[in-house]
Amino acid sequence: MLSFIKAESFKLSKKLKSWLGPLLVMVLVLIAFPLSIDISQYDLDKFYFSIIIVSLLMTAFVATEGMFEEDFEDGSLEQEFLKEKDFYKLVISKIFVYVCLIGIPIAFIGALFSFANGVAVDSFGKVFLLLILSNLLLFNLFAFGNALSINKGAMLGVLSSLPLALPVIILLGRAIRSIQYEDGFFAVTTLMVGIGLMVSAIMPLIISVALKTHID
Amino acid sequence: MLLLGWIWGLLFAPQDAVQGNSYRIIFLHVPSVIFAELIYFFMAVCALMHLVWRVKLAAYLIKSAAPIGAMITFIGLFSGSIWGIPTWGTWWQWDARITSTLILFIMYLGVLTLHGSFSNLEKADRLMSILVIIGVVNIPIIKKSVDWWSTLHQPASISVSGSSSIDPSMLYPLLISIIGLGFTLISLGILSSRSYILSREKNKKWVLMHV
Amino acid sequence: MKLFSVQNITYSINENKLFHNLSFEINSGEGLHIKGGNGSGKSTLLRIILGITSPSKGLIQSYDQDLKISYLGHKNAIKNYLTPIENLELLFSGDDLNVAFEWLNKFGLSHVQDELTASLSFGQQKKLALIRVLAQSSDLLILDEPFVGLDQATADQLNSFLAQKISQNAGLILTSHITPMIDCAVLDLGAKNA
Repeated sequence: MLSFIKAESFKLSKKLKSWLGPLLVMVLVLIAFPLSIDISQYDLDKFYFSIIIVSLLMTAFVATEGMFEEDFEDGSLEQEFLKEKDFYKLVISKIFVYVCLIGIPIAFIGALFSFANGVAVDSFGKVFLLLILSNLLLFNLFAFGNALSINKGAMLGVLSSLPLALPVIILLGRAIRSIQYEDGFFAVTTLMVGIGLMVSAIMPLIISVALKTHID
Repeated sequence: MLLLGWIWGLLFAPQDAVQGNSYRIIFLHVPSVIFAELIYFFMAVCALMHLVWRVKLAAYLIKSAAPIGAMITFIGLFSGSIWGIPTWGTWWQWDARITSTLILFIMYLGVLTLHGSFSNLEKADRLMSILVIIGVVNIPIIKKSVDWWSTLHQPASISVSGSSSIDPSMLYPLLISIIGLGFTLISLGILSSRSYILSREKNKKWVLMHV
Repeated sequence: MKLFSVQNITYSINENKLFHNLSFEINSGEGLHIKGGNGSGKSTLLRIILGITSPSKGLIQSYDQDLKISYLGHKNAIKNYLTPIENLELLFSGDDLNVAFEWLNKFGLSHVQDELTASLSFGQQKKLALIRVLAQSSDLLILDEPFVGLDQATADQLNSFLAQKISQNAGLILTSHITPMIDCAVLDLGAKNA
């Protein structure tokens, strides 16, 4: 397991485009948005969170795009199958590495921007935590979409994983509101942690089955 | 039967006290959204059968049912929009049920696109089944989660047990429309699955024998 | 020692039969050369033996559960955004890694070992893929078109490496359009049956 994580983080760190790209997209959207409207006219802090949530969705999608594609294309998946007969460990380590190397930085950027846009300083940690949790969920779901559409491009990935991602977005919206109105934050967060753990355990199983079908 | 329901509903049922004549679209809208979901559940059952017992036929049924499901979901959405204009004053609202129906529509499209993107049809069958099953787990989740949004949509007017909030003079044609649409879709499904099965099995002995 | 036996394998894709009732055995210290026209199912047969693809009918029996197999497919399983050295580091560790580095010398890749694999020529990438397979100590080598893209000198070299593997009691199955200079049995799948 550890060797998987090591190998995957090494690979990802060498792919500058794959991990830096999503971070840049996130920053770009978050900066471009307030510039594109007349800031003085609106209460930006009221709906800036929505922007963060949407850009989270976008970047999570960009980040996971091609997650398994490369390994499938160059034949590494076949080799892995011969060694392990199963992809569970590979998938779970891959998602873990992606969340750590891309998801957490994105969450940090998101939290930073929310704080710069009128959210109280002391809720920085809360927002950061929530964004990490949603990234964990989103990465799992988009990984599923990618595993299904392994060499068929983004369109199919969106169609198959977007319906799964929407509940996460709704949950996140709800959680953010709980911060804004200081009500029920703990309950929502616990719910998200629970769902996060469950999805992280089950999703790789399903992804593994899908990948096996692909190399067949 | 569908015709009977529609004629009764469209021509003879009384006007709604609040909504006037525009409510008559209910005879198209309600049956189609009911079947939009039913067909998906049917597909999920087939998907399970295909994955667990490797029943080939189940996959063929999913493939034939999906376009019908997509169509009926679209009709449901579209008729809902039309109905929305006179009653809510808007043709679209991000409310719980509309959103989840829209997502259902996306899922149908996803299933169809996924299956269409493979040259190896057996692979396509299996991956499609996986997607359908994940989707069916997702439906109640979406429903619950969108319920958190304040909803504009009226609560269901018919309940199986106890009293319905709809007048019998409207209820009966509605029920007939539902059943009628059901039969229509089933026969449509049988027709399309028959031709699909034949096209998939065209090299098998039993098909060649009968041609 | 018997490694595998293939019993009455039939494989059809979208109702087209590729091969029918194929049976043979693979023993350690023996080579098998599978030949046949384009699309005759050579690669598919290899993938069936490996257990990646399942046959439509028939049985593959393995006599040793812990059999170590190295496989070279159409796809190299080489990361082209890494250097050859980094690729090997990803695949091997400890003493095996040093063995793998020696192979870089044997195939004359040491002068490009720190360049990105993407910038190497097709033949050089193929050599790297061969190193991945040959540097493993395995009981059975399954190679799909190992000679494609190699110059004559390297092909000769590969022949001798493979002969050496066989003499070390490994099994070998390969597909190739040119006849390998190794003492091995031949299985002909024929031209593509229309």
